[in-house]
Amino acid sequence: MTTHNGIAGTATPSSTTAQPLLQARGVIKRFGKFVALHGVDLQIYPRTVHSVIGPNGAGKTTLFHTLTGTLMASEGSIVFDGHDVTHEADHQRVQRGIARSFQVTSLFTNLSVRENLRLAAQGVHRSGAFDCWHPPSGARSHADIVDTSMQRMGLTRLAGVAAGALSHGQQRRLEVGMALAARPRAIFLDEPTSGMGVDDLDEMKHLIRGLRDDHTVVLIEHNMNIVMDISDTITVMQQGRVLVEGRPDVIRNDERVRAAYLGNMITGGRA
Amino acid sequence: MIRLKSHMQLVLALLVALILPLCMQSGSLATEVLIYALAVLGCNLLLGFTGLLSFGQGIFFGLGSYTVGILLTRFALPMPLALVAAVLVGALAAAFVGWFAIRQRGTYFVMLTLAFAQMFYFLAYSLPDLTGGDNGLLDVPRPPLSVAGAELMSLASPWQFYTFVAVCFLIVFWLLLRITNSVFGRTLLAIRDNEARAAAVGYNVKMFKLAAFAISGAVTALAGAFLAMMTGIAPLSSIEYHTSEMILVMTVIGGTGNLFASVLGAAFYVLFADWLSTLWPRWLMLLGFLLIAVSLFMQKGLWGLGERLWLSTRRTPAVGDTTKEERA
Repeated sequence: MTTHNGIAGTATPSSTTAQPLLQARGVIKRFGKFVALHGVDLQIYPRTVHSVIGPNGAGKTTLFHTLTGTLMASEGSIVFDGHDVTHEADHQRVQRGIARSFQVTSLFTNLSVRENLRLAAQGVHRSGAFDCWHPPSGARSHADIVDTSMQRMGLTRLAGVAAGALSHGQQRRLEVGMALAARPRAIFLDEPTSGMGVDDLDEMKHLIRGLRDDHTVVLIEHNMNIVMDISDTITVMQQGRVLVEGRPDVIRNDERVRAAYLGNMITGGRA
Repeated sequence: MIRLKSHMQLVLALLVALILPLCMQSGSLATEVLIYALAVLGCNLLLGFTGLLSFGQGIFFGLGSYTVGILLTRFALPMPLALVAAVLVGALAAAFVGWFAIRQRGTYFVMLTLAFAQMFYFLAYSLPDLTGGDNGLLDVPRPPLSVAGAELMSLASPWQFYTFVAVCFLIVFWLLLRITNSVFGRTLLAIRDNEARAAAVGYNVKMFKLAAFAISGAVTALAGAFLAMMTGIAPLSSIEYHTSEMILVMTVIGGTGNLFASVLGAAFYVLFADWLSTLWPRWLMLLGFLLIAVSLFMQKGLWGLGERLWLSTRRTPAVGDTTKEERA
């Protein structure tokens, strides 16, 4: 929180001078009497990989939900790219350039891989989506974006397969691919590697790092190898609060972080 | 490929419209098949393409009947205009009902449509000046089809009226094919599949559902209007809950998610009911058994059954098809 602003300042790399792309102030989320987020401040700078880590129940996914609009914040403000999006629904924030993937795979399981990606690409163009007359062919098929996303995710040969018939690892890649197909400014990935086999992990790591060239990446991840290797900034959460924020090496050596969460994982680096 | 498939559906619908007069004695019964096919198409758009189980289709059906009945008996409006008015009333009523109902999902959505169905029924019942109450609106005329005073076609005989309804049915069928294959229609399918994800990739799910409701209401009201013109009466029973139920049953029997399946469902129900009711007054019980069988063993309805039979006769090419799709 505010007490750690000093660390946050030094943490952001080359882009320290840039304006944050996303700025959350005092975000509180209550579910009835339970308070999941106790006033979170977060600044995400463009073209960085910003990871959010913390033990289970720390409020990472809830924070994601409030930032992307899946849930509305109870209090606080969220400014994205100069627009106050605090009260905008998820589908409105997509139009601003926010896209996300889900921790629990959430696809259009009866539809093909290509159709999943086409729908994601079309979602950003809200007026065209109400076209009751033309089938999604030609320019309306968004073939370029769809093909690029499939290629990047290694799904090209599975284009015609129903999403529900893919293996778990393929579904996880399609999850990320759908976020990509929206060509977002900021891409929110909620545990993209969850349940993935060891073989796929490295590939996913390179993929996420590669995203930084064109996007801003916000990442929830449990795999410390990945987090420490590819993050520019890491925010550690505990019990609905920001415990500390900084560069990977700062986080690695922070006593509070070690005590609260990482323990020997940080040196062991186990998946 | 999809284009070819939708053309095929249109051809099948055309075949049905052409074959009915050849193999049936009664023009009214044939017309009834197409009228209910229209109503079932409207229901299928909600259930099969958007995943909305609406028990309120009778509202729109009944309002269509009443609108045409009132306009033709009291205002002597040109018949095509009265039909257009019925379609508009249906769309508006559906938008109204939908506006409330889509706020909830699952069971509560269904309960809301049911509540509206009851409300509209009692509204019609308690406004006898407008609707004729228990007796219904009697003596609905069937004026000839005329444009700017020139009579194009008399609709007096059952087969003449059948021809008119068949042409309208084919136009609506074609329009709905376009809609369901369009960007909009494909988005509805995505919403049916995973509503949360559809919202997360940027679609305003409520607006899509509302639009689907309005289109469904418009088509259903047209069916109700035709039935009133055919029977010469806009009865209270057409806005009754039973009508909603009947439309839903036809939709499920035919199969959801495929437009021609709706035509099958309506034809099957109407013709079966006509035949069975002459044999046994408790024929609805048999319908119960059929619904149980459909729900347990053939959830894709008659269309799914036909598809399965078709594939089993040409198994080898079918396997070839799937591999081709995987490679594409």
